[in-house]
Amino acid sequence: MSILECKDLCKNYGRVPALDQVSFTVEPGRIVGLLGPNGSGKTTLIKLANGLLTPSSGEILVCGMAPGKESHACVSYLPERTAIPTWMSARQLLDFYEDFYADFRRDAAEEMLAHLNIQAGQRIKQMSKGTREKVQLIMVMSRAAKLYLLDEPIGGVDPATRDYILSTIIGNYNPEAAVVISTHLISDVEKVLDEVIFINQGRMVLQSSVDQIREEKGMSVDELFREVFRC
Amino acid sequence: MLRKLMKHEFRATGRIMLPLYLILIVTSFGANLTTRGLLSTEYRILDVLGVLLVMAFAIAIVAVCVMSMVVMVQRFYKNLLQDEGYVMMTLPVSVHQQIWSKLIVSAVWFAATVLMIILACCIVAFNVEFVDEFFHFIGDIFRGIMREDAYFIANGTAFAVEGIVLCFLGSCAMCLQFYAALAVGHSSANHKMVWSVGMFFLFQFVIQFLGSMLVILADGTGLDVFLTNFLPQFNGVAAMHAVLIFCIVLTVIYGAIFYAVTTFFLKKRLNLE
Repeated sequence: MSILECKDLCKNYGRVPALDQVSFTVEPGRIVGLLGPNGSGKTTLIKLANGLLTPSSGEILVCGMAPGKESHACVSYLPERTAIPTWMSARQLLDFYEDFYADFRRDAAEEMLAHLNIQAGQRIKQMSKGTREKVQLIMVMSRAAKLYLLDEPIGGVDPATRDYILSTIIGNYNPEAAVVISTHLISDVEKVLDEVIFINQGRMVLQSSVDQIREEKGMSVDELFREVFRC
Repeated sequence: MLRKLMKHEFRATGRIMLPLYLILIVTSFGANLTTRGLLSTEYRILDVLGVLLVMAFAIAIVAVCVMSMVVMVQRFYKNLLQDEGYVMMTLPVSVHQQIWSKLIVSAVWFAATVLMIILACCIVAFNVEFVDEFFHFIGDIFRGIMREDAYFIANGTAFAVEGIVLCFLGSCAMCLQFYAALAVGHSSANHKMVWSVGMFFLFQFVIQFLGSMLVILADGTGLDVFLTNFLPQFNGVAAMHAVLIFCIVLTVIYGAIFYAVTTFFLKKRLNLE
């Protein structure tokens, strides 16, 4: 069974279409790059998969279910912005995730926090922007979820932090699960991807494995992206 | 899951409300010194101190009341409709559980605020002759009533229960009116807060309009004649019960409408920035 499935998915904001007839599937064990320029509909797609938006038409299924209370239990979602409650301390945040997610691995989260020298008693609001993003990522990647939806996980952080984030994703995801990484920073994520979905102006342009792109087109994903989305 | 949501909701709101209650109690001890005669000394500085202590107490009461309202609105807005909404609205809980957790915790803080103000007032009045006499007088009345008739005891208790139920439901319904206005306003693409404030006043206008229409309809349909003929069959106490129960039913309907609006907009029209 596909972990994420879109069938003729459409989403309009008023009269403006954000997604138009998008259909694809994501299988378990794959790391998929959801790639497209700014405003192409990547975040809308991820919000739809999380039930934060309702489709205008078509269908989206997560672990075989329409997005809702049950599907939330098998999805680990990293929003594009820092959304963890900033009044909480790191320890309270661990309590929070442990309370709501049965698959939360507290020991793994504590180990990663210790690795970054983050004190459990320190409040999120006392941390720098970069550290907050790392803490949020640690919470998301400490779950043994079936699907990880990571919206711009490396946007707006320095190259060293990018490497840390990517190694955290690779080192901590459940191998049975699928990971969808939305980004426009292709060259940074290319090395970790199995598959790519190109999306532009709300329409799906391409779904292919990275190996297939290299073999058939003789170019990297970054080069293909630049060619497809040339302005 | 509702229990867990409430636990974290109490954690989030308690860090604001509990220190405020502490300030209220501390200022009430200060104000107690004033009521014990701080103002009737010959030292001017003690007069000034007495006035300041009473003012601090009054400000603490206002602050506690205002903050319990602000916390109620702010928690819904910040926790579900702002950035934190990305975490909260993707938890494996239903929208109903989200709303109920906010509603129950807000109602508990409202009740706690009332109790803390009563406690603070008791502290201010502790051992003051006039207030002692007043409470003795009230106590005498109740003792008199209880000696007279079980009828009054039963009805008095029922009035108290009906009154408390009405206050509790009324505060829940008021919260839901705020929640509904915020949920509707934040479903728009731009100027979310302006729309929310606009929706709140629109709801208020609609309620008042419907209330007025009910009175006009009662006049036009002969309901007033029916009630005029029907009500004299009741004695005063029964009529009072009927009015309280009617108010409870109206409050439940009023709250249920806003609950449905809030749920619909959070489920189907959520539009986080």
